[in-house]
Amino acid sequence: MIDPQSITRTLFEDFHPIAVTVFYAIGYGAIGIFCWGTWIQIRKYRYGSAYAAVGTFISRFKQMTAALLTHRTLVRRDHAAGGAHGLIFFGFALLFIGTSTITVEYDVLKPLTGMRFWYGDFYLWFSLVLDVAGLMLGGGLAFMMWRRGWLKPPKLSYVRPDRTPTDPDYDRSGYQREDWAFLWSLVIIAVTGFILEAVRLVWLQGRPEVWDYRWWSPVGAAFAIGMRAIGLSAEAAGMIRSGLWWFHGLIALAFIALIPFTKIKHIFTASASLMLRDPLAAQRLPRVPDAQESAGFSYITDLNWKQLLHLDACTKCGRCHEACPANATGAPLSPRDVILSLREFANKTLASGTLPDQAELDIHGKSPGQVSMETLWSCRTCMACVEICPVAVEHIPIIVQMRRKLVEAGDMDPLLTKTLQTIAKTGNSFGESKRKRGSWTKALATPIKDARKEAVDYLWFVGDYASFDPRNQKVSQTFAGLLQEAKVDFGLLYDSEQNAGNDVRRVGEEGLYDLLATANIEAMKNAQFNTIVTTDPHSFNTIRNEYGDFGGHFEIQHYTTLLRELLVSGRLTVTKPLGYRVTFHDPCHLGRFNKGYDAPREILKLIGCELIDMKRCRDNSFCCGAGGGRIWIPDPVGVEKPAQNRIREAAVIEGLEVYVVSCPKDLTMFEDAVKTTGNEGQFVVRELIELVREAVASPVALEAPVEELADG
Amino acid sequence: MATKILVAVKQVTALDEDFEIRADGRDVDADFFLRDLNEWDDFSLEEAVKIKEAGGEVEVVVVTVGPEEADESLRKCLAKGADRAIRIWDEAMEGSDSQAIARVLAAAVQQQNPDLVFAGVQSSDHSFASTGIALAGLLNWPHAAVVNQFEFSPGATQAVIRRELEGGVLQMMSIDLPAVLSIQLGINTPRYASLRTIKQAAAKPIEQVGLSDLGLSATDVGEAGSASRVRRMYIPEKGRAEMIEGSLAEQAAKLAAIIKEFKGASA
Repeated sequence: MIDPQSITRTLFEDFHPIAVTVFYAIGYGAIGIFCWGTWIQIRKYRYGSAYAAVGTFISRFKQMTAALLTHRTLVRRDHAAGGAHGLIFFGFALLFIGTSTITVEYDVLKPLTGMRFWYGDFYLWFSLVLDVAGLMLGGGLAFMMWRRGWLKPPKLSYVRPDRTPTDPDYDRSGYQREDWAFLWSLVIIAVTGFILEAVRLVWLQGRPEVWDYRWWSPVGAAFAIGMRAIGLSAEAAGMIRSGLWWFHGLIALAFIALIPFTKIKHIFTASASLMLRDPLAAQRLPRVPDAQESAGFSYITDLNWKQLLHLDACTKCGRCHEACPANATGAPLSPRDVILSLREFANKTLASGTLPDQAELDIHGKSPGQVSMETLWSCRTCMACVEICPVAVEHIPIIVQMRRKLVEAGDMDPLLTKTLQTIAKTGNSFGESKRKRGSWTKALATPIKDARKEAVDYLWFVGDYASFDPRNQKVSQTFAGLLQEAKVDFGLLYDSEQNAGNDVRRVGEEGLYDLLATANIEAMKNAQFNTIVTTDPHSFNTIRNEYGDFGGHFEIQHYTTLLRELLVSGRLTVTKPLGYRVTFHDPCHLGRFNKGYDAPREILKLIGCELIDMKRCRDNSFCCGAGGGRIWIPDPVGVEKPAQNRIREAAVIEGLEVYVVSCPKDLTMFEDAVKTTGNEGQFVVRELIELVREAVASPVALEAPVEELADG
Repeated sequence: MATKILVAVKQVTALDEDFEIRADGRDVDADFFLRDLNEWDDFSLEEAVKIKEAGGEVEVVVVTVGPEEADESLRKCLAKGADRAIRIWDEAMEGSDSQAIARVLAAAVQQQNPDLVFAGVQSSDHSFASTGIALAGLLNWPHAAVVNQFEFSPGATQAVIRRELEGGVLQMMSIDLPAVLSIQLGINTPRYASLRTIKQAAAKPIEQVGLSDLGLSATDVGEAGSASRVRRMYIPEKGRAEMIEGSLAEQAAKLAAIIKEFKGASA
């Protein structure tokens, strides 16, 4: 019987005491460099402006831990890479915990109390678990190398849409070298670890307490058997072991020392970023304090410390790059490059103990690390980047804050300038008289109540497009008819309603947004109602998420939930199931922003439509291109527009009859795109409201049914 | 010595749809006014601010003749970079024509003693297109109208300007300072004043100047000081217009019938 106490690994076996001291010195040195590097990073974040994190530390810690353990954010839309990362993550974590366990016994418990636990059964299970961990790590790394070297997904190419090859910061090959170095360093550590395990077995093959238990470290044992087969002697193995031990140890320590200076730091920065995640980052933009001299971000130090940390969390995984509608249609914007540019800028300017001159902190422009106005104006604030980022980088608030500076300097498209002036003057983007806001109601047989004069159950916030655009006015009239038939008690603010400001805010015109929001809130407070309902997802978002910061706390519904309720409760009855084959476009502000994915789909089912979702649906819905004020800025001629890209995606659905939207801007954008992509006559674009109208019996038919239009 | 540029601006009124004429029939009912800074003045202010931003010691002073509502336009000017704003008003100034306004401005110019006075070519509401030039006449200063390019370095005694003449001809000329220029649209791209900067400009003082501060009396301004008076403002009867449809022959026949009708049945 072998004494369990002897079933263990003797640390530093056969080492000269001086060698052990040297190893400890190097170890402490590595930790020292790690701490120093960490301080440099922290000092960098401290140059950022103040930020009060959302929620308690505990809840944020829980949220981060859940994200890490489930790898939820990493497997989305890239199961393979997410899974491989999981193998690396859990393998690495187990190996780290294992190594720490040895330290706990050898350097803490044993010297202080004489207690030991790293022997016998514990040791054997420890060996097995760590061998499996090493395999997981190796497997994950192997996949990642295959992916980078052979699969070469476009999102990992790092080609910059916002720079030309002659620009000094066009070349991103340095990042690629770093990626490979990171992979190789882990591979080398893992492989040398296994070989070290094997040569130790060969070296100590004479000891039964080692050799008899070799299969508890199966990978090491397999290697050892192979080594014996090719004739490696115990003595030779002992010599290899001494050399390899130092090689493995030094590489591992160098790895630790390099963490704060390289991509490896994402272990910490990504975790911290996940902890600081603001679930409403894009939905509720930050206010500009009244006392603040100029609005928005001009300098790198205007970013708050959390944002500077977010920059460091990015691992260049390319999910945002892939999801961005601007990037997909050739605009000079990749959300990833915005983050990387600013990170490079921060590393360059904030690395030392003193700040350079303010002029050198300016993040606007075309020099290395700066972000150009063309890039910033390309953004449609559709939230695709923020939503998919696995490490909770929040691009939109940074982009909008930088736009606020551009707006203040007047650096924007002349047409946008005109629109903003128009909105300031008339309260709507159409430049129509305020008095005409309710004119579309004149076509109705039954007038709509004025919520300013009498109490109503629902206050309908109509929004600019649904009020003034002739095509959308028809939809508004149809919706009013449905509500009237369902005996819903509702009213309007008429000319007291103004543009809700959602897009004005996302353009970066905060002063105008303040004015619009305040005026609307005032009007709403003067009306008597229980709930707001809106046909406009953009208005829905800002009233729901942003008006609260301006003192307007209201309950609000998008029309889809109200219509669903009316259909389910039988207040509206489907008399003619439509039987159309349809696809549904999730509006950014209803879907991604406010998670309203289900109500429109349930309505489509209730009215008897066959829904075929596009590949990019729900949270991955592809923006029509109108968001973030882009509807007021002309798109470049001769280049595919996001809406055209989207219509082409829908067009491949066999037998598609109706492309269903539930946002006034979508109706405008996509009806246009169906024509410009040559799909006219193939399928039609319809507001969900119009389909409901068609399916629900009505005394007067307002719209020609879809089939007639499709054929005509 | 610092160069001082005085920019004379006006808050104009645009009309909302379906407006009504005031009870006395001499103006549109103020309820239907949408007020804004005169478009031409946006350009003249921008030109002055550009000179200031190009360097050198330059002070840009905006001045307007108008009631309290005009402060809003002055704040917009301050937001865009004017250093000071002056609003001149007295009840007696109501009903002033362009000459009377020019008289008020001339008194202000004499007090402020600027090197250059910019005015817009015209105002979009009353379109007299004469205030700036009348002001030059009263001051007896050199003047140039419809300027669409301006070159000047602060401190110089001359400026080089380009003017737009009829028939697409351009005229380059130099002008001695002090001078009065009326600035044409398109000379530059006026900047956007964000609502926030306009709000911040509310903290800057607007100097209020009255009749007596300028050494003027009530008879110098208003209807008493004007050479012209508004008699009536009205919306003309809508003319008749008709789209003639049908084939070419039908259209010709219809047209002939209409001509006959206008000539009279006897023909």
